Amino acid sequence: MTRALSFDLVWPYVAGAALGYLLGTLAVPLFSALAGRGASTARARVGLVLREDPQAPLAAWAALGADVQAVRTSFASPEREVFDLVVAVRGMDNGGEADFRRAEQFCRALSWPRCDRDALAKLKEQSRP
Amino acid sequence: MKRTFANRALGPLVLGVLALLLGYARANGERAQFAQATAALSQSERTALESAPGLAVANAIWALGGESAVKKMLKSELDRLPEADGVARGRVFVRFGIVDSNPDGQAAVFFQACAADQNLCERPALIAAAERETRARFVEPGQHLPLYLTSGHPQVP
Repeated sequence: MTRALSFDLVWPYVAGAALGYLLGTLAVPLFSALAGRGASTARARVGLVLREDPQAPLAAWAALGADVQAVRTSFASPEREVFDLVVAVRGMDNGGEADFRRAEQFCRALSWPRCDRDALAKLKEQSRP
Repeated sequence: MKRTFANRALGPLVLGVLALLLGYARANGERAQFAQATAALSQSERTALESAPGLAVANAIWALGGESAVKKMLKSELDRLPEADGVARGRVFVRFGIVDSNPDGQAAVFFQACAADQNLCERPALIAAAERETRARFVEPGQHLPLYLTSGHPQVP
């Protein structure tokens, strides 16, 4: 009886909060579409970061993680592993800071002729599309 | 009765509005920086960005990949790039010519580069393009201009 009463009291709040949050999240792409601006895709967002090496807050890099994963799955092996290497040298999953240790691991797994730090630093610049 | 309903609906409604503002702020705030920057671009710029991850992978293989990885990448690039994208295809052919060890093969591939991109038909422009590509490669083969470009096709006795 008490449990049923509690549920009756609580569920409108839970539903109201969930619906409100959903509508708030959907409002941005909806307004963009109504304003005539196309919504960006994960591939385009990753492309932007690869091309421009932007400065961004950690929250933006965290949100990019899902995009990086989405693009990664679109590549077949061995391009997928090369993409992992590019992601590591460009720091796309590390707040924009290159992770040369992980990059070296990816590079050695690809059995490429050079995987030293100097080569990977050059690759960071060279991978820019 | 009406008053009770109003009392019961007001709390969830207020909470819903607060959640809506929170959701909007999260979706439109710092997390969405890259999405906003991309959405602000023109359609053609966004389309160009779509191919950037593939191009970055190709550039990475060209920079450090072994000969077999490079040849495989160049073949898949030629399959991927549309005929209309002559500049990109021309670049792929130039890279092919650089890693091709046979002067006859180099001549054929550089001819294809010219067919794909008219800007590569003049020898100085082709050499300049090849030099750019050799500078972007950090392992052999492919760090030097091929024989076909440095001294022309070898004389057949």
